[in-house]
Amino acid sequence: MSVFPDWAEPVARYMLREGLANTLKLSAIALLGSAVIGITLGTLLTIRFLPTRALIRLYIEVWRGLPILVTIFIIFFALPAVSPTLRFDAITAGAIGLILWGSAQVAEATRGAVGSIPREQHEAASALGFGWVGRHVFVILPQALRRLLPPMVGLLVNIIQNTTIVQVIGAPELLETAERQVERLTFEGQEHAIQIYGAVMVVFFVISFPLTRLAAYLERRLT
Amino acid sequence: MTFLLAVGFLSDVWSFVQENADELKEGLVNTLKVSAIAVAGAFVIGVTLGAARAHRIPVVSQVAAVYVEIIRNTPILVQIFMLYFALPQVGIRLDAFTVAWLSVTIWGGAFNTENFRAGFEAVPARYREAGLALGFRGLSTFLNITLPIGGRIALPSSINTYISVVKNTSLMYVIAYPELTTVALQINALTLETTETFTVLAISYLTIVWSMSAVIRLLESHLALPEEAR
Repeated sequence: MSVFPDWAEPVARYMLREGLANTLKLSAIALLGSAVIGITLGTLLTIRFLPTRALIRLYIEVWRGLPILVTIFIIFFALPAVSPTLRFDAITAGAIGLILWGSAQVAEATRGAVGSIPREQHEAASALGFGWVGRHVFVILPQALRRLLPPMVGLLVNIIQNTTIVQVIGAPELLETAERQVERLTFEGQEHAIQIYGAVMVVFFVISFPLTRLAAYLERRLT
Repeated sequence: MTFLLAVGFLSDVWSFVQENADELKEGLVNTLKVSAIAVAGAFVIGVTLGAARAHRIPVVSQVAAVYVEIIRNTPILVQIFMLYFALPQVGIRLDAFTVAWLSVTIWGGAFNTENFRAGFEAVPARYREAGLALGFRGLSTFLNITLPIGGRIALPSSINTYISVVKNTSLMYVIAYPELTTVALQINALTLETTETFTVLAISYLTIVWSMSAVIRLLESHLALPEEAR
């Protein structure tokens, strides 16, 4: 560890163990939540029933239209004002905000993917005695998931990067832990902001770059 | 009953807007100002570097590729932190307004480079060859053939980038630049009218973003290439 100056080792340990761990945890929860809610809503959006369509459309356009920071502020500051039971800690509020945004993206992609499955598949499944749910779960979605894979990998990259927004409400993800260390060192009279925020950029790049390559590769292979 | 509650709430929101009109207007103007600069900047960067990438102009193309990959694969919030909180360490002090427009311009420029690269590359080679055969030089071929056709192909994706640029201006809250989100949180801290504040903030962003999406749909049908030109 002698290549690193003395100040760096505790900073790196705190940022990786506390910050990166929370960033990855938050990303995993947000991805899972976005996928489950988004695929469900996107599939329901293909039903020709106006009220459900209008409601899901509204959900998609609102959470895609708002900046994620504003969504997170609404959950963190405005919901407790409406009802005291709706008080969340920073990480939970951040996860909910990311899931609202992410599920809107997934729903839109799912609508396209489900719609691209030929009608004959629906008819064949119906002929075999599947109901609407069975037809979609066992026949249509497994085929649609193939087309959903590239946008889902792209979404994962965006989710990972957008977890930093949770820093604004003080959740201890990678950027927040970096800021705490920069402030601590500045207080002790040492300035290392460029090195520390630079390290944050490197960590995000190392995670995101292979994933964007993978998304581009899947896009080319599956289309 | 629900109807009366809704009417009551709407009148609360309206009197909230009137009481805080000056601050809200300042925030909206600053959001639109930063967005306008960034959209113009991202357009220029996108067309220039997108052309360099599509035509594989040596050195410029490689430098553009590195720029695009760094910006796309790191969070914009960290880029803002870098510009505002880290650069002073080496003596570069930028004020909040500069960081506000600069960071979204750099970010939008990177995504737009990809949009325009894809647009220019989608122009069939036979059009460029036809231009060259008619005696156009390289640059006039680009300006008269590749740019009008490829630019139209890139238009919807580039407007999507501009929409993200507008949404990302909300992140200037972290450097206390007085755009909509910053102003709204200041009003909230003073008045404690939380529900009204966030209702107005959300409606403001949705109005801007939904208008821009409507423009995409209008332009798409208006500027769509005739089928035989593809």
